[in-house]
Amino acid sequence: MRSLPRGQMRWLMEAYIAQPRDLPSIDVDSQSDFIEEYLKAGAPEFRLAFISCCLGLNLLSVLMKGKTFSRLGAEGQQELLNKCFNSRNPLLRGMTVLPGLAFLMSYYRRPEVAALLGFDAAALKAEAELRKVSRDRTLPSRGDAS
Amino acid sequence: MIFKLADIKGDVVRSADVAIIGCGAGGGPIARELASEGHSVVVIEEGAHFTRDDFSLNPAEAYMNLYRDAGQVITFGLPFILMPLGKTVGGTTTINSGTALRILHPILKKWHLNHGLSDITEDELNLIYAYLEEYLFVKRADPEVAGKVATTFLAGAEKLGLSCGWLPRNAKECEGFGSCAFGCPSGSKQSVDVSFVPDAVSLGADIYSCCRADEIKVSGGKASGIKGHFLDPRTEKPTGHKLDIDTQVVVLSAGAVYSPYFLLKQGIANSSGQVGKNLQIHPASSAIAVMDERMDAPKGIPQSSYVDEFQGEGIMLEGGTVPPEIHALALPLLGRRSAEAMTSYPNMGIFGGMVCESDSWGRIVKLPRRGYRPAILYSLRGRDVEKAKIATSLMAEIWFAAGAKKVFTPISGHYELTGPKDLARLERSSLRAGDMFAMSAYHPLGTCRMGGDPEWSVVRHTCETWDLANFYICDGSVLPSSPGVNPQLTIMAIAMRCAGFIDERLSSWGRA
Repeated sequence: MRSLPRGQMRWLMEAYIAQPRDLPSIDVDSQSDFIEEYLKAGAPEFRLAFISCCLGLNLLSVLMKGKTFSRLGAEGQQELLNKCFNSRNPLLRGMTVLPGLAFLMSYYRRPEVAALLGFDAAALKAEAELRKVSRDRTLPSRGDAS
Repeated sequence: MIFKLADIKGDVVRSADVAIIGCGAGGGPIARELASEGHSVVVIEEGAHFTRDDFSLNPAEAYMNLYRDAGQVITFGLPFILMPLGKTVGGTTTINSGTALRILHPILKKWHLNHGLSDITEDELNLIYAYLEEYLFVKRADPEVAGKVATTFLAGAEKLGLSCGWLPRNAKECEGFGSCAFGCPSGSKQSVDVSFVPDAVSLGADIYSCCRADEIKVSGGKASGIKGHFLDPRTEKPTGHKLDIDTQVVVLSAGAVYSPYFLLKQGIANSSGQVGKNLQIHPASSAIAVMDERMDAPKGIPQSSYVDEFQGEGIMLEGGTVPPEIHALALPLLGRRSAEAMTSYPNMGIFGGMVCESDSWGRIVKLPRRGYRPAILYSLRGRDVEKAKIATSLMAEIWFAAGAKKVFTPISGHYELTGPKDLARLERSSLRAGDMFAMSAYHPLGTCRMGGDPEWSVVRHTCETWDLANFYICDGSVLPSSPGVNPQLTIMAIAMRCAGFIDERLSSWGRA
């Protein structure tokens, strides 16, 4: 079962990640697949909280702006996200922070994004392969250490 | 040998001298020590077994393979705190930063005076620490490979005249691949899966990975074995194969969250009513700097340096590099502002500050219908909120001294500091626990504490439970309080000590 319909994932993902300049485009499908897998591997309450927060944002949008989140437009969405995030009410803030964990991770984990930011995991792994460390140490048992 | 899930073709029914539940900083050393004394040892571990060849430096993949609940373990309380726990052969040592520090002297004194633990002498511990430091290749982080974030931050601390330096780490020939928390790809970090486990196996110990303990068998008021079942560690689906071991001694080493949960579920070893109580953690804050020059994170050692100026007040700064996906989560920004800031990632540095002596106490409780998951109740109390604020503002001050243009903090109302004025405003502010955004915490401890009084503790100084003979608990849960620093070395030292007592017990039976 999916956490949220893809359409809803798209609006939220685009608002949370806000396509960074000079970095690869948001890939809603692959990133949504990752989020599904990540939530499935985790605690059920985390998955529930993720879905509740996403739905809660929509509800807040209707209550505060009179429109669903998807109809707010990019400016309105950014305004709403930042208003909630900057609130001193921990519930409102938590509601925006929690989905952000999954959305931001789904984008910045992508190797082509991370590599452009200077984190080339494949190159580091290849380097690590060349510098494998072996233990080769045998010590006396604890009784002899004294 | 180390049995993987694919090796298990049917039920496992066998006997051994000792069964150990959990293969981390507690279980690993005990397995090796007892195997080296010629005892037959079986260890069961709920997580899977991975080697350095499996570690891809991909944090998300590591979360799903090496962390409990894919790294999504959270506390219930204010603020909500993310608490990463390892679930793999090696336990949390496989995913920690490798910091290897000894307990602070005044804290050991408190253990003597307040917890009746004068049997654990400083001289004895120092001997064990010295042995462990040699066995685990502990030495100070090499500034040459630590990375620019660490050297820049330490330069700022030195400019302010603060006590600081390079952390001792259990790493051999570390080249700074920036991936300690996601599995060391070179095998440099001497985590339990790299050190104690291979040695225990070469001495004859058997390790069953992907096996969850269900029950400690009890007969005649004594522990007499364990029952468990095999499962896919990622989906938690049972394979249908069971494990049943008869032993003379059982050791529970499932960590400070799952050891008490296990006991509460089975309803044993809790005549004191202390099981699950007294939870202490090290809540952590962070400060992210934007510098003019490139910081080249995360190449380097993720946690190589420290500032201990306020250690006496329970604050320790340790840091710090993280890959972009973790950095994006730590930044107190969303949407466009996050996207703009992340383009400066190459010029950013992050440092962490932890409350290493906390006044807040939490609790592990068993709730119905939560699967195999306890609830962790924990709220940050007033003085700890203040300590987290001091840690954060100190880190910001250091970053500014090091030349930062801007510093991001996780404190609501103070997310972005642009200079001394903003810093002064943060320092003057009065905060509530809910003002901390997305905190993380490490090192859960104290939930099956040891002590000299059976009414106030769960285990004796030997780690044997007061209630059940031949049943030992040995992991972070038995430490009666935080050691004031990262606890892995102290947990290992207590485990080595515990192994000595178990060996004596087994040997005396052999002689009889």
